[in-house]
Amino acid sequence: MNDYKDTYWQYISSGKLCLQFCPACKQYIFYPRGLCPNCLQSGLEWKEVTGKGRVYSYTIVHISSLPDFQDETPYIYALIELAEGVRMPSNLIDCPMDKVRVGLSVELAFIKRKGKILPVFKPSEATFSINFLTSKGIGGTINNLINKEGSQL
Amino acid sequence: MFKPSHASIVGIGDLKPSLNPGGKSTLDFMAEAAALAILDAGLLKNDVDGLLVTPPSEDSYFLWPSQVAEYLQLFPVFMNMVELGGASAAATIARAALLVDAGVCKNCLCLSGGVWDKQVFNTLEGKMAVMSQAEIDYDLPYGPMGFNSGYALIARRHMHEYGTTPEQLAKIAVDQRFNAMANPDALFKNPLTVSDVLASPLVVDPLHLLEIVRPCSGASAVMVSRFPSDANRHDPVLVRGFGEAYTHSSIVYATSLTDSPIKMASHRACQMAGVEIENIDLVSLYDCYTITVLISLEDIGFCPKGKGGKFVENTDLTYNGSLPCNTHGGQLACGQASFAGGMSHVTEAVRQLRGEAGVRQVKKNRVALVNGNGGVMSTQCCLILGRG
Repeated sequence: MNDYKDTYWQYISSGKLCLQFCPACKQYIFYPRGLCPNCLQSGLEWKEVTGKGRVYSYTIVHISSLPDFQDETPYIYALIELAEGVRMPSNLIDCPMDKVRVGLSVELAFIKRKGKILPVFKPSEATFSINFLTSKGIGGTINNLINKEGSQL
Repeated sequence: MFKPSHASIVGIGDLKPSLNPGGKSTLDFMAEAAALAILDAGLLKNDVDGLLVTPPSEDSYFLWPSQVAEYLQLFPVFMNMVELGGASAAATIARAALLVDAGVCKNCLCLSGGVWDKQVFNTLEGKMAVMSQAEIDYDLPYGPMGFNSGYALIARRHMHEYGTTPEQLAKIAVDQRFNAMANPDALFKNPLTVSDVLASPLVVDPLHLLEIVRPCSGASAVMVSRFPSDANRHDPVLVRGFGEAYTHSSIVYATSLTDSPIKMASHRACQMAGVEIENIDLVSLYDCYTITVLISLEDIGFCPKGKGGKFVENTDLTYNGSLPCNTHGGQLACGQASFAGGMSHVTEAVRQLRGEAGVRQVKKNRVALVNGNGGVMSTQCCLILGRG
């Protein structure tokens, strides 16, 4: 039987975020599994996703009792809603702690942690340009723009 | 619709929560609480013919009901383990009500307990013990802080959608602490202000240390008997209705972070009991975090969705107030003795309905709503308890 767990991580190792897709239900699935949780049929396909999404919610972890993370605090643990409609837990990197917001546009990135390549997310380039415009005093405040985006979620 | 007409709570037993188990096991704690409940009911051990247990915190789950029955030398006609996370304790009462109402058992002991060991709880293995395999594979690599980070995601999203403030969440911990000051058994009894809560360390932004439950050791037991019962030491408290609802396990699958299945569970419980929200005199709401209580109040219907922040700000939730909530101090002030934390919500409601809550006795005490919440607002069991 196709080992979906290995498949997921093999795609990650080759620099792709691929999720299972049910051709019958036309929906993406996370976490990987043997059957579509909607129609309970097998035959799930792997499809590469755009890697674009938004921060659905987040927390800044200040105290962690996980051995690998004790020296990493503060870090952003976030629930990312992908453009494909599924949510996945991840980290938000390259984002100042005071800039993380619900609704923030993010895009896929990869990091290596404990020898393992992991899909994570960083503020999308569009967000950076908003940031840039704001810093020049053009357009609304970054908070307003992002809140507007967030309210569409 | 099924309506229990023969299910009553006739005995309760609580151990004082402790931070040092003193070498005792979950079984030791459970046995002590069981003895208290049997005594409180005025029954003999041999009268117990049903046993519902919540899982152990450190022992092997294997044949757990048998392990408990053997220790207590009980020989029930029906027994089972209920594992619905924090909703397990309340759910044992719902199942016991079904059993005694159907006549399967006369006296069903609902038993919950646990030992908290920092050496186990704060290790990687300890964290993994409360995660699904999918969470271990696809979530753990990102450093989730167990339930802390799950509830922080919920709190953050609630703040985003409804403008809920840290001060409003802190008020819940403050009111419950006031209640705890009238409970000699509470772990934390010093006065608390909103500023104190907000000055405590941010553990998982936006949740502060004093908004997070403190794990501890202890046990609680409840005797559910077929009404009318031989147990007559107290006026019986009737289990008038229950309702459950389940939507997800992992937070990844929560369709909403801010709408919880408590809405369905409480609606089902009220329907079964024939009770309207306005008839509820006091509530015992599972309080692993402040945000849990706020969302529970909204979803049960004490205020419109999204207005929970304003509601707790303007409502006195103490035993003196208009909506007494967690009058023993809740788990936030009494500690969470593993699965028994949720049973303390049941025993406190029974104490209030009997009129035996002492200094913290509420004036209106005919109907109580108890909620058990498991996972990250994943599993819900609501009970409607009332005076006979």
